[in-house]
Amino acid sequence: MGYLNNAVVTVDAILTDKGRELLAKNDGSFRITQFALSDDEIDYTLYNPTNPSGSAYYGQAIENMPLLEAFPLVTQEMKYVLTTLPRGTAKMPVLDLGYAAITLKQGASLAVTPQTLNYLGGNTTFESSGYTATISDVRTLSQFNGVGINTPDAIALNSTTTVGTNVSKTVVGTTINLTATTVNTLFGSNNFLQATLTVVGRDSGARITIPVTIIKQ
Amino acid sequence: MSFKRLTPSDFLVSADSITSPCWTNNVYDLSSFFTSSAQAASSQGDYVLAVYQTSSVLDEAAIQFYIGYANAAGSGSTPYDSTIPQYSPSSTIYGQWRNLILEDENSGFVFGNVTQSQFFVASVERANYKQSLLPGSLNLTLTSGSNTIKLTDNSNMISVVPYINGTRVYQLISGSDGTAYTGLQANGYTVASGSYGWFVPDMGAILLNSIALEQSTGNGGIAMTTLNDGSSVANGFNNQSLFNIIKLGDSFELNSQENITSDYVFIRPQNAEFNYTTNPSFISGSTGEVIYSSFINNPQTYITTVGLYNDANELLAVAKLSRPLVKDFTKEALIRVKLDF
Repeated sequence: MGYLNNAVVTVDAILTDKGRELLAKNDGSFRITQFALSDDEIDYTLYNPTNPSGSAYYGQAIENMPLLEAFPLVTQEMKYVLTTLPRGTAKMPVLDLGYAAITLKQGASLAVTPQTLNYLGGNTTFESSGYTATISDVRTLSQFNGVGINTPDAIALNSTTTVGTNVSKTVVGTTINLTATTVNTLFGSNNFLQATLTVVGRDSGARITIPVTIIKQ
Repeated sequence: MSFKRLTPSDFLVSADSITSPCWTNNVYDLSSFFTSSAQAASSQGDYVLAVYQTSSVLDEAAIQFYIGYANAAGSGSTPYDSTIPQYSPSSTIYGQWRNLILEDENSGFVFGNVTQSQFFVASVERANYKQSLLPGSLNLTLTSGSNTIKLTDNSNMISVVPYINGTRVYQLISGSDGTAYTGLQANGYTVASGSYGWFVPDMGAILLNSIALEQSTGNGGIAMTTLNDGSSVANGFNNQSLFNIIKLGDSFELNSQENITSDYVFIRPQNAEFNYTTNPSFISGSTGEVIYSSFINNPQTYITTVGLYNDANELLAVAKLSRPLVKDFTKEALIRVKLDF
């Protein structure tokens, strides 16, 4: 992984692993129809609205930074998307899963119903397009699905299976169901398994990642 | 909203022609030529001889092109069965190229204005010529003894691209950079043996008229020796003969040509869009307040990445800017993303 030459503004474009997968499937799913923007790599604490040189220099520490080349893994790109909100928004949408961390014993189940705070003026909102949830290691769960969103795209995503060593899995729903694995061999000599659950609001773009721990019985 | 739908006017498909040197490491003038004794001794070696840019035992060795000898009567190589001498590697090669170019078993190869029943073929490795050879870029020097000739194609001397059954076929002539040497003939041909062969860019091939090369210098040849007595010629002998005169010539200049089809996607965030971010450093605390009070009415974000999605919100491609692009309510942007296929 290298840095891009920032002497001039250029655009470095690549297909993601998902893009290559869908291109290989040749079923029409590789069709670009929309875009999103992100500000991955930007640390807004470096923005200095009290810079004595004036407002032209507030973003001085950010604007000339060199950026990394694109990562092909979808899990490493577009982490923080830019959103369109009314001017005057004082609070950004924040996801509340009801859990700061999830710990399950082998075979135990849990339903997670995300809510979005501060979205479009509402204190607490269930986003109409639902939420995408990604478990970083699908082997830790015997069941991982989303319910509540029945659009063709969501149904297709929930039923998608890629043969091979696909360690992460993404589902869509208003409620996400998790059941911990009962397979002992995954634990080896350990007493627990660890993964992460990343949930993104499909309307707001708000995102949260929490740890998931499976305890060996 | 985080996603913005693209409209038909946001897409542009464009094909650009890219030319580059033909040989490994982007060398335009290949001046060192090696063969592999293992390849020459293999069953493939009965038909064609692989030519490398360096010793074939070195890691960086790569096949640049193949040499073959074609003869309609099967002469110039050892028959598969001595009782049917017309079937040999040379007739197989002849039939192969006749099938590819002429598409008719009753047609002959007319080099210039003379029909010939034997020729050499230099077939460039596909990875080197990419899509096709570039007409006008060929300069092949052949030396036999003290006789030297420089061959090129006649692409710069004609106004209409010549086709044979949908395949571009230029005449191989004496000269350089697509233009004839007119000292012997105005069209660069030999005196009586026609042109020096064909330049077939779309198949990455150069057909060399062996009869022309066998002529004396006064008739336009270099007095090359080609053996075409079927029963007495070992397979690969004539291939080696051509290799020798190429090696002695010490210069094989050629460019490749490739059409790159690019899909341009124009990303147009407007002034009221994408001015807030879900970046955790944009908020303070866990309740979502923006980090600076000035960001409430004058938020400022920095675009670093463009994500291109399908209808299922699956990320198909990403484009990274080389430096952050400021976005606020007073700015609009136009980002052109180029995807090559």
